[in-house]
Amino acid sequence: MKTIDKDISIVIEICGSAGEGTISAGEILSRFMSAQGFEIMSFDAYPAEIRGFGKCVAHTRVSANPIYSPGKLADVLIALNDNHAISQLSALKKGGILIYDSQPPKPHEEDQSVVARADAVTISYGVPLTMLAQKAAGNARGRNMVALGALTALFHLDRDAFTNSIKDRYGKKKQIVIDSNVNSFLEGFDWTKENIDKADTISFQGVTPPQSKAEQKGEKLIINGNQLVAKAALDADLKFYAGYPITPATKIMEILSKELPKHGGTLLQTEDEISAIGAVIGAGYGGIRAMTGTSGPGFALMTEFTGLSVMAEMPAVIIDSQRGGPSTGIPTKTEQSDFNAAMFGGTGDCPRVVLAPTDTTSCYDATVLALYLAEKYQTLVVILLDFFLSNSIRNIDTPKKPAPKMLNANIAPDAADLAGYQRYKITDSGISPRTIPGTPGGMYFATGLEHDANGRPNYTDKGHLAMTAKRFRKHASVLAEAPAPMISGTQEMVDIGVISWGSSAGAAHEAVVTAAGEGISAAAFSSMMLSPFPEKQVTAFAGRCKKILIPELNYTGQFADFVTKIIKRPVERLNFITGRPMAAEDIVEKMREMI
Amino acid sequence: MPNSDHYVIIGNGPAGNAAAFTLRENDPDAAITIISHENICFYSKPRLVKYLAGKVDEDALAVKTMDEYRRRHIRLRLGQTVERIDPDSQSLHLAHMETVHYTDLVIASGARERLLPSMKPYADCLTFVTEFNDTTGLRKKIADSTRFFIFGGDLVAFKFLKMLTDMGKQVTLLLYPKAFWPHRLTKDMQDAIVKNLAPTNADILADDDLDTIVPEDRGGYWVTTKHGVRTQADLVFSFNGLIPDVDFARGCGLEIDHGILVDETMRTSLDNIFACGSCAQIYNPDINTYTTSIGWPNAQAQGKVAGLNLLGEHHKVRPAGRKYFDLEGVKIKTVWWEDLEKDEEA
Repeated sequence: MKTIDKDISIVIEICGSAGEGTISAGEILSRFMSAQGFEIMSFDAYPAEIRGFGKCVAHTRVSANPIYSPGKLADVLIALNDNHAISQLSALKKGGILIYDSQPPKPHEEDQSVVARADAVTISYGVPLTMLAQKAAGNARGRNMVALGALTALFHLDRDAFTNSIKDRYGKKKQIVIDSNVNSFLEGFDWTKENIDKADTISFQGVTPPQSKAEQKGEKLIINGNQLVAKAALDADLKFYAGYPITPATKIMEILSKELPKHGGTLLQTEDEISAIGAVIGAGYGGIRAMTGTSGPGFALMTEFTGLSVMAEMPAVIIDSQRGGPSTGIPTKTEQSDFNAAMFGGTGDCPRVVLAPTDTTSCYDATVLALYLAEKYQTLVVILLDFFLSNSIRNIDTPKKPAPKMLNANIAPDAADLAGYQRYKITDSGISPRTIPGTPGGMYFATGLEHDANGRPNYTDKGHLAMTAKRFRKHASVLAEAPAPMISGTQEMVDIGVISWGSSAGAAHEAVVTAAGEGISAAAFSSMMLSPFPEKQVTAFAGRCKKILIPELNYTGQFADFVTKIIKRPVERLNFITGRPMAAEDIVEKMREMI
Repeated sequence: MPNSDHYVIIGNGPAGNAAAFTLRENDPDAAITIISHENICFYSKPRLVKYLAGKVDEDALAVKTMDEYRRRHIRLRLGQTVERIDPDSQSLHLAHMETVHYTDLVIASGARERLLPSMKPYADCLTFVTEFNDTTGLRKKIADSTRFFIFGGDLVAFKFLKMLTDMGKQVTLLLYPKAFWPHRLTKDMQDAIVKNLAPTNADILADDDLDTIVPEDRGGYWVTTKHGVRTQADLVFSFNGLIPDVDFARGCGLEIDHGILVDETMRTSLDNIFACGSCAQIYNPDINTYTTSIGWPNAQAQGKVAGLNLLGEHHKVRPAGRKYFDLEGVKIKTVWWEDLEKDEEA
């Protein structure tokens, strides 16, 4: 038993089997909470198989205040399937709420029901989910909606507004689908209102949403990272996308397959990832804004071509949405284990830009920036997403459209340049004027061989050194265009400094706030720009931290190894590869150990 | 069927806990499970009135902590309801369609509210306070309300009435002669109670009965008595004693009257099943009949006897003789069971 005060969020998990509507229920819950004015962060965990078996979990964190990480443990667990929910009980807080099917289709063997396996301090509410769904719609498919109805009644949420969220979700379906879902929801609501006396004090009452519904209308986007990447690409005038479907990046391609042609662009589904990156580099060579998206296995296939982008100085943007690896690995679990591959994969001295969004909103910013940087610096840009960032849903303010200068960064040669045109002219910035094929006087050799300023093969030691140095010089300029690192916590000397990247960064910044409440002085540092990395800033940050902690979702601490070489001191590591995202609680627990 | 002994206790009150802890003391290896439909650890029902008044918080209700069960390896299944007993397969069918097997069963399911026949049409208008589940949300309602109507006259009714009047609430009590079930208050007793409650400033109605309860659209009720007294109330409570909570046990072959019939050793009519506490009706050889009992000490004593006898010993509870209950200054004679005494002949 506990009381949730207004500053604390509530985490709700729905657990079921694939095909039971678990993810749909989570999505509706998120949309409803957002419409009520709450901040939300939600994500789904589901099996790699399409349908029929396997555990699905829809995880939603709700708060009146900004949310930076998904939360580790749930306050409420809705069990649509006892077999799967039993293993999810370990993610339920002590004293949390369990809503379960009190009249399941088949009897349970002893100790095989979720309520039997729940901790004794769990507050359990049995609702006849199956029976009520059958009553409402003649089949059990609406059990997920019955459960949402029960949740709505238990927490005194707005029944009519929730009904509207369901109607919105199924608005394009046949009326019978809408009706059966709504009726199931109402059955669950009415039954619970009539039959359950709430025996806990977890409540949304007193949690005042920061904005009224009216104020938010039309301004908030409920969106995940993949959707936002696609939106950003369209806003940034992307004209060509080539790709091969792969979880968790497929959604980007799905969206663009519909939307890109409407914007005058082309989407090409290739036979594999090698073709995809080849096509993207070819489009870049032709002056077309181009991008591809993949995950670890696809990125591995693209590696050879990444070198061509760098060597031939042709713009290319690759989105690598990381998942458990290596090889096919764990397609539907999140990890941050492609860091080394993205930063250093490939042959030769191969500088590239690597961006890692730290939250949903920055997925938009990173995509716009990547397309701009690839074009301006005529190079490869990798965006490191991960399964969590790709799929987690946030309600965010609609991003501002990119500034005009971000939409076309080709540096065309002027007349003087075209007189005796040198495509790979050695410059102070490392950037050379680039012609689009067909430009009169602007012909050049484009090759993956080392070359001279005209693009002709040149294997001399001096030539190779000069060209390698030119390609690396671009980095100095890139860093100047990077967004400043985010630093939170006190500005003074601290006991613990947390340096993080990607989707773990939100948890790190939130952990610093929590730690401060426990008397632990701490600060956090994160940078969207990984390559080139803001080495001066991170070194200065580390200089005011007695201890350094680097949390990340990989086994060895790939980023920690990288940072250690920069700051030249040992760091504490927090690594796990359980498939769930980093939570602030994980980091705070580690910080307690370190003090 | 479990491979080793599995003692299952239905009920998480004083009788059930006494049985469980007695079993553990005398059998360190057996599996012991307590099943309760309530979502709360063993708590003090007598303190619920103070809890409702906001004088104590939930922690003050606790009688045992979770840790005590963990240390003794007693499993708690809270928030789980037994729907049926199947003595042939020695199993319990829970409401969520799980089957739990036992080698021996102790039924200590306690008692539930008693709804008088005349009040049944108005059951939806009435509020009961018999367990913690009933109190959730009620604290705030009581704090926010000003006018209360109470039907009844059992021990809790008077405690509750005084709690409300101490809080400055406006209270009307309709005193029922049958509220102190199974005893009936005589006219003299009722008069004495009315007189003794005068200092509370509550309106006490006697020699009257309920006519109607009509809910108001904006919340609250109009209560009308047979004698035409019409009273407005925000909340209407019923305190008319308790009856054994044994519906789930009916039809399984157990001999049941009001409660489950047991002998002085707490054995029921079926092998491997014991019953104790206020769900049981115990044979009294002195008066050659079965009587129910209430009260914490009785329940504890009976639970202990049930636990010991389940392990093969032979103990009896014995009648403590005539006792008196003080009902607002009125002494009421009762016969209760309490005290544990080893049967010398065993």
